[in-house]
Amino acid sequence: MNLLRQYVQSILNARKLLIVTFLLCFGLFIYAPFTIMLLRSVGKDWFGRAWVPPTLTLDWYKWAWEIGRVPQITKNTLIVAVLAVVMSTLIAIPTGWAFGRRGVPGKEVLLSVILLPRMIPPIAYALGVARIFYRLHLIDTHIGVALAHTAICAPYAILVLSSTFEGLDERVLEAASVCGANAARTFFHVILPMVLPGILSSIIFTFTNSYNELTLTLLTYGVRTETLPVRTFLAVGEGYLEVSSAMAVILVIPSLFVLFMIQRQVAPEKLVGGFKGV
Amino acid sequence: MADFLRRQRQIVLTLLLLSPGFAGFLGLFFYPMMVTVVRSLRPEGQELGWTLANYAEFLGKPGTRQVILLTFALAISSTLLSVVLSVPLTLVLREKLWGHRFFRLTILIPITVPGLVGALGLLVFYGSRGWINLFITQILHLPKLDINYTVPGLILFYLWHYFPYTALTTLATLEGLDRSIEEAASVAGANGWQVLRHIVLPLIAPGILAGSVLTFMAAFGSFSIPLVTGGNYRPLSVAIYTQIASFTPARWSMGSAMSVVMAILQVTFLSIYMRVLRRPIA
Repeated sequence: MNLLRQYVQSILNARKLLIVTFLLCFGLFIYAPFTIMLLRSVGKDWFGRAWVPPTLTLDWYKWAWEIGRVPQITKNTLIVAVLAVVMSTLIAIPTGWAFGRRGVPGKEVLLSVILLPRMIPPIAYALGVARIFYRLHLIDTHIGVALAHTAICAPYAILVLSSTFEGLDERVLEAASVCGANAARTFFHVILPMVLPGILSSIIFTFTNSYNELTLTLLTYGVRTETLPVRTFLAVGEGYLEVSSAMAVILVIPSLFVLFMIQRQVAPEKLVGGFKGV
Repeated sequence: MADFLRRQRQIVLTLLLLSPGFAGFLGLFFYPMMVTVVRSLRPEGQELGWTLANYAEFLGKPGTRQVILLTFALAISSTLLSVVLSVPLTLVLREKLWGHRFFRLTILIPITVPGLVGALGLLVFYGSRGWINLFITQILHLPKLDINYTVPGLILFYLWHYFPYTALTTLATLEGLDRSIEEAASVAGANGWQVLRHIVLPLIAPGILAGSVLTFMAAFGSFSIPLVTGGNYRPLSVAIYTQIASFTPARWSMGSAMSVVMAILQVTFLSIYMRVLRRPIA
């Protein structure tokens, strides 16, 4: 009996070991690229067969800052992202309201039409966007790049907001009007607090999407509207691995910040969202 | 009569509310797509005339078949691998072991960070001076392995970037599962493997399929990853961009024709996939 118990124990331990190894490998698979990139961006004289850089330096960040014009480019990226967020949200609030609360006939079909830009690969319509923008002189303007981003961001914002508005409880609104609140009061004191989390998460997603966007930016940017992803892409092409690593580290910080912020509020499976409902 | 007017007003209001969304759709997606289609039917560099020469040239070129095959091979193999990775991962995470929250967050990392950053990190990590090659040459004492700029390497990078769609959807399905069914099966005498094979997997199959569609779509349209890490292997998206970026004057008509082919391929494949997905799983 004792032997049997030992045998079962050893199998259980083996299983536990297997699970731990698996998770460890998985963690390594995801995080190791970031770690080595971080080291690369602060390492000096790191050649040949060393596992870690022999000396540390911040020179590459200085290079990135000065030669890579990081301050200017960060400003561009933020201006474009903010414009894209504003435009997408302004588009999404009325449309999301109509989809969520006004009983649009054929809602499923219409929503999947709206979501088409997320199904078709962006490069397929990016060429058309670029040609139209050339004609309208929107290339190399902040508003132009932001408009191109809106094509990708707005559908998702509409999806998030329509489900937010749909979730509004009719009875609460009725209760407000029964208690004598007028339309304005109902809006500011009842509806707004209830939908604010949804609007906030839509804003966060739009911002991240625009901040990370490369495909449409590459076809609409110019010297004055270089964004961080474009700059990093160009730096990789120029072959300075250390400097581009430094830039990539700068580029990744806000997204990690956003990630830690949203994971408290939003269920992870909602993050897949962009493509959901397809 | 008044009622009729009120109804009319309501309908107009709904249409007004819908209009920004559809204006955005028409202006920023539909019109550009139409411009792309029209451009693909114009002779190269000319504003007038209609021709199918661009399609004929693209589809007749010897390299085209390789490009399309490569695009599908990358997308399909990384989708399959994402399922292979996601199922055990989510089965482990479901047990809510110590630290499972951390690993849940880890799944989100590849889809939240800019694709470019991930691509760069992967290039450094799997490069000739990266840790993987150090491990192979110094600890295993084997010859150096070329991973970057090869097809298996690209598949690995695609997997890194796009498995979260499969993993998250599978995880959500798995956690919505009623545990008592599995308990019933094990009470009835099924061992762990049989429960997994005959109970759990069939039940979560719809979730896995739905997630893998998302992974496939993202992988098929992937642009920044093959652009940075592809080297000489150019899937459709990068091949399109090359028509614009590396030719002077840019070959807009050719690029547009390729874009249209790519969009058609994606939509066709997706509708087949959806039909398969809708079918009940035996």
